[in-house]
Amino acid sequence: MKKTNMQSSKLFKLIVLALMGTISLLLFLLNFPVLPGFGYLKIDFSDIPALIAALIFSPLAGVIVEAIKNVLYLAIGGGEPVGVTSNFLAGVMFIIPVAVLYHKYKSVKSIVLGLVVGTVIMTIGMSILNYLVFLPIYAWFMGMEQMKIESVKWYTVIAGILPFNAIKGIIVGALFVPVFIKMRSWIEQKQVNVL
Amino acid sequence: MSSSLIIGQYVPGNSIVHRLDPRTKITVIFFFVFIVFFANSVLSYTTLTVFALVTVIITKIPIRFIMKGLTPVWFLIIFTFILHLIVTKEGTVLFDIFGFNIYTGALIQGFAISMRFFLLILVTSLLTLTTTPIEITDAIEEMLHPLKKIKFPVHELALMMSISLRFIPTLLQETEKISRAQASRGVDFKTGPLKERIKAVVPLLVPLFVSAFKRAEELAMAMEARGYQGGEGRTKLRELKIEKIDIAVYILFTLVIAIVLYTRS
Repeated sequence: MKKTNMQSSKLFKLIVLALMGTISLLLFLLNFPVLPGFGYLKIDFSDIPALIAALIFSPLAGVIVEAIKNVLYLAIGGGEPVGVTSNFLAGVMFIIPVAVLYHKYKSVKSIVLGLVVGTVIMTIGMSILNYLVFLPIYAWFMGMEQMKIESVKWYTVIAGILPFNAIKGIIVGALFVPVFIKMRSWIEQKQVNVL
Repeated sequence: MSSSLIIGQYVPGNSIVHRLDPRTKITVIFFFVFIVFFANSVLSYTTLTVFALVTVIITKIPIRFIMKGLTPVWFLIIFTFILHLIVTKEGTVLFDIFGFNIYTGALIQGFAISMRFFLLILVTSLLTLTTTPIEITDAIEEMLHPLKKIKFPVHELALMMSISLRFIPTLLQETEKISRAQASRGVDFKTGPLKERIKAVVPLLVPLFVSAFKRAEELAMAMEARGYQGGEGRTKLRELKIEKIDIAVYILFTLVIAIVLYTRS
């Protein structure tokens, strides 16, 4: 009897994460650019379902939702692997601090603090990753040696990547706080059900 | 919009390319992306271009569909070409525009790099043009199979992928329904400052999450009732099988790689 219960709660969890992945993908498709001149940097709310999953289950659940979103985006022919990978890593860096702090303190304050920490980690992490990995890969793809020049990379990071991720973190965070306040009791109730 | 989302870019058809095993397509495209960077002579570029164009013709997909997929990158291809014209200073001066010298080397290199870019995008977009998303996720599951040995939950991930794909139209419809319901209660999604519009998303997301949980409960129960018990011994409706045509494609593509490596300077 105990075994079937465990099985069904595991299956339920898988399905919830799959549906959160779907919602995340739909929100991902409703993106909009924010920085003039950097049209390829777009903001979306696809991290919200991942955050909800990470709060109800675990940080890993949030990571899985991000992964589903990005793999499906590739499968429907939405984008190229490098951009998708960087979106995945940005999402993971953003949601993990929120989930870890929330699971430790379980308060609105910890959510706000987590969003701030997540935004900082995502902004710094993506700037470093773009400087060291993604921009050189794009330069290599386009055969453009000049994009490997330090000043060009610095300019792209300082004027594009850095403010973009900071703005993205702030906007997504500003949306997530009211969502969390509205759904707090529901989230806590679901946690009990799943255990 | 909902139907275009579930099939993505996929253009239905019955060509050889459509019928190829998705694993074959993914493998060939993966190696094509690498081999494009090895091409550096007229002959090696010609070989790859002929391979790509013949594949496009075989798919029988109308050119306008393919071009539609390429629209966002045309700008990048042209941009790359012009950038090379300006920056590269090799060979002899061909002509000068307003005192700006255009070198023969720049023209050749600009053309080569743009061609490389074009081939890359064209061939990778062929995957999603000729393969349904469900076939792609099936192929990913099969290709990740070896990871099962290190306890990587391949089956569970594949199950999530297919459930997630299946629910794209359902949840999209649900989103539209909720947004109409909230609009009728006076929520304004379309106008106003950014802050107000972000606020308007809250009453859209909350019911969406709640209903997703309800759906998950129902689906989990329905699957249990039908005896679902994990990946072991589960049979499939669509079995992936390597056919003779797949082997032929592998041989042909190995030949293309050999020609490119042989003709590069």
